[in-house]
Amino acid sequence: MKITERKKLIIYKALLFAFAFVLAFLPSTVSRNLEVNSRVVVEMLGLDGSDEIELTAQYVMPTETDGATTKDKVTVKAKSVTEAVEALNTALGRRAELGQCSVVVAGKDLKPHTLGTLMTATDVTADVYLTAAPDKASDAVGDITKFMKKSGATDADFIAFSARKAHIATVTLLNFLSDLGSASDTAFMPIIESLEEESEGGSGGNGGSDGSESSGGGSGGGGQDGQSSGGGQKKEPVGMKVEKLALYDKDGRVGELEKSASRGVAWVSSPVEKSVVTAEVEHGCENYLVSARLLKKSVGMKIHPNKNRAVIKVTATVEPNCDSYNILASKRDGETAAAIKRGFAASIKKEMQAAYDDSLAMGRDPLFVGREFYRFAPNFYDKGYSLGETIVDFSVNVIIK
Amino acid sequence: MTNTKAQSTHNVSEETDGQITKSKQSTGAQLVVVVFILSLATKMFLLPIYLIQTAGRDGYIILSIEAVFDLVTLGILLAAIALSKDRTFFELLENVIGKIGAKITVAVIALFLFFKLNIAAAETLTFYSDNVFADFDSSVMIIVLLVFLGAVANHTLRALCRLNEFIAPVVAIGIVILITIVLATGFDFANIFPAMRDGAAFKRSLLHNVAWLGDFTPLLLFIGRTKTKKRTAGIAAAAGVIGSAVTVFFSIVMCSAFGNIPHLADSRTNISSILQFSIGNVYGRIDLLSSIFWSIAAFVETALFFYATARCVEYVIGKSAHFKIGLALCVILYFVQIFAMTDPTVFALVVSSLATSVIVSSLSLAAPVLALMCALIMKKRDKKQGNAPSDYSESTKNENYRA
Repeated sequence: MKITERKKLIIYKALLFAFAFVLAFLPSTVSRNLEVNSRVVVEMLGLDGSDEIELTAQYVMPTETDGATTKDKVTVKAKSVTEAVEALNTALGRRAELGQCSVVVAGKDLKPHTLGTLMTATDVTADVYLTAAPDKASDAVGDITKFMKKSGATDADFIAFSARKAHIATVTLLNFLSDLGSASDTAFMPIIESLEEESEGGSGGNGGSDGSESSGGGSGGGGQDGQSSGGGQKKEPVGMKVEKLALYDKDGRVGELEKSASRGVAWVSSPVEKSVVTAEVEHGCENYLVSARLLKKSVGMKIHPNKNRAVIKVTATVEPNCDSYNILASKRDGETAAAIKRGFAASIKKEMQAAYDDSLAMGRDPLFVGREFYRFAPNFYDKGYSLGETIVDFSVNVIIK
Repeated sequence: MTNTKAQSTHNVSEETDGQITKSKQSTGAQLVVVVFILSLATKMFLLPIYLIQTAGRDGYIILSIEAVFDLVTLGILLAAIALSKDRTFFELLENVIGKIGAKITVAVIALFLFFKLNIAAAETLTFYSDNVFADFDSSVMIIVLLVFLGAVANHTLRALCRLNEFIAPVVAIGIVILITIVLATGFDFANIFPAMRDGAAFKRSLLHNVAWLGDFTPLLLFIGRTKTKKRTAGIAAAAGVIGSAVTVFFSIVMCSAFGNIPHLADSRTNISSILQFSIGNVYGRIDLLSSIFWSIAAFVETALFFYATARCVEYVIGKSAHFKIGLALCVILYFVQIFAMTDPTVFALVVSSLATSVIVSSLSLAAPVLALMCALIMKKRDKKQGNAPSDYSESTKNENYRA
């Protein structure tokens, strides 16, 4: 009996080993583990169109040179996002890996429901950052690709920096869709624009298609994108600018917020951690321009359904770091300190007010006042809430470090 | 050293001689670990998605109700374990309702355990096929799971408990990482409000998503086979509460993320994709890695259900044939999974039918209550007789049944 049990155990272990071995070397297993140099990794997607989807992909492909990659873009058209992804695979001759995509650029005419399909029907993850193109996403992706080739920056670095270190209201795909589905029926995306410089025409020769650029060993590499076909003035991107916000409702983009209003949205609706704040401080009949680094920020919204009023309270901890502050600080009196606080508070309040007023003019609510009423006073929201009729006050408390 | 070796040899002989032994298969600490694993294993996968799809942002409330229900059954099972220190669940049943009644009862429980096994297996496979090995054919992937389950069926409860002890720290680390990420990145928990806006949808969801109840049922096998101390039951209950709290916490996270957009939640949505919501690309895929750590718990839960099913079948048949029964169960499980449960429509239909809800909720409660009642009756009988349990192996000593 004992021998039988042991034999069974040995047979079982042998079978296990054989199974593991076979599984590891099954033709299907082996064939699916593609070599890195036969993959195409999509880093950025651009989406245009409402009836017909235009999908632009910035992709990275390994080259024969050891450790080198090439970055390029391709545009395909289809009736839906899923068909466009299929067309992308066909265009690239292999399956495009969308799981590594870190930025999606939305064109001006893109319908938001397309983004929902992108999240549910493709491999694009929910954490992908969204950014809006001033006009066509394909153009924006082209500019970004050119700039990235110059700087060696990856898109993840580029937008992730804005998400935490700059005063920009960034948004992820899931964030955006969640905001849009909220009671405020509003979502936003930062608009990415290229900073251009006048330059002589490119090297020519590629006649309208984007040239590819190799960057050995993971370094940035330089060079020109061969889009222009010689002659004339060509504006080359030398940097990217992210200052404005595009506002959306369920039907699409409804307008844009300028820099000051965009900063106001970032104060309330974005997890901004570090940024620069500038304020005009009035003291002793003189005005001082004081800049400071934001160290910490907390936001709270208190609603008063009875008074149809909401108060947005921001507490900002800032660290001034300029000569004008040093002049003021040398006075070492309470009045000066209060004036500095007042100056920063006024500056922040002005930006938030601009955000509220400008978006109200477009009938949107990027500060999500309506959502707050819906969450904590749903009955009032159902019966009495109306955007524009609610009084919104801003209270700013500044702590100087 | 010599003693240890002797003990080890003794254990081996216990496991191979095919006789019932009175040695305990599980320690109190192992029971605590098993309770912890069972409390959080499968409720994190598809259940929150179904709840979000049907009840929207109120899904976490339903999951909380189910967690409380399961904790009640856990309390009953722990009480039965504490009351019956020497008699196993099968012995309790035989002594109270007779051998035939016991076999019929165990057969019903075996079917229930097999159903739960299928849910756990389907969830584990769905998680891996949708999120980890997207290109791996699930009909091949399940074989890996079945090999593991087959091995479990051929080992003792003691071995399974040791495996649990080994895996629990990894699972705990995964959970701690996930919770830390959520808390550190300022998740918008307020999106779970307002609550209970659609009472009808809430009620419908509550009645049609009950298949996940009864996660502690495999603890029936621990009755009479666990070396308990005074505080074991209390600590095990605390482990269950902590595990359930973790599950509820993550369901709140998911409900707040998808509360506004329930139509965008699908089987690919899991706690990992929610964490992407808050961590962005900055931290890499530590979220997915941690989720995989957590998913190991689902493997163990599946194994516990498989083990419990196999032992119940053995009892009903009255034969100790671990290998054959394990193999047969693996084959049945394979066909049920491949031809039914891996199809999302069939799976959804099976788990969300009202009949399933009634049967699962009834059996989830009935099995522990039955165990407790039998334990109480036997305790009274022993008290009347004024001696320790003496009929331990009278009815089963010839069954050649090994734990």
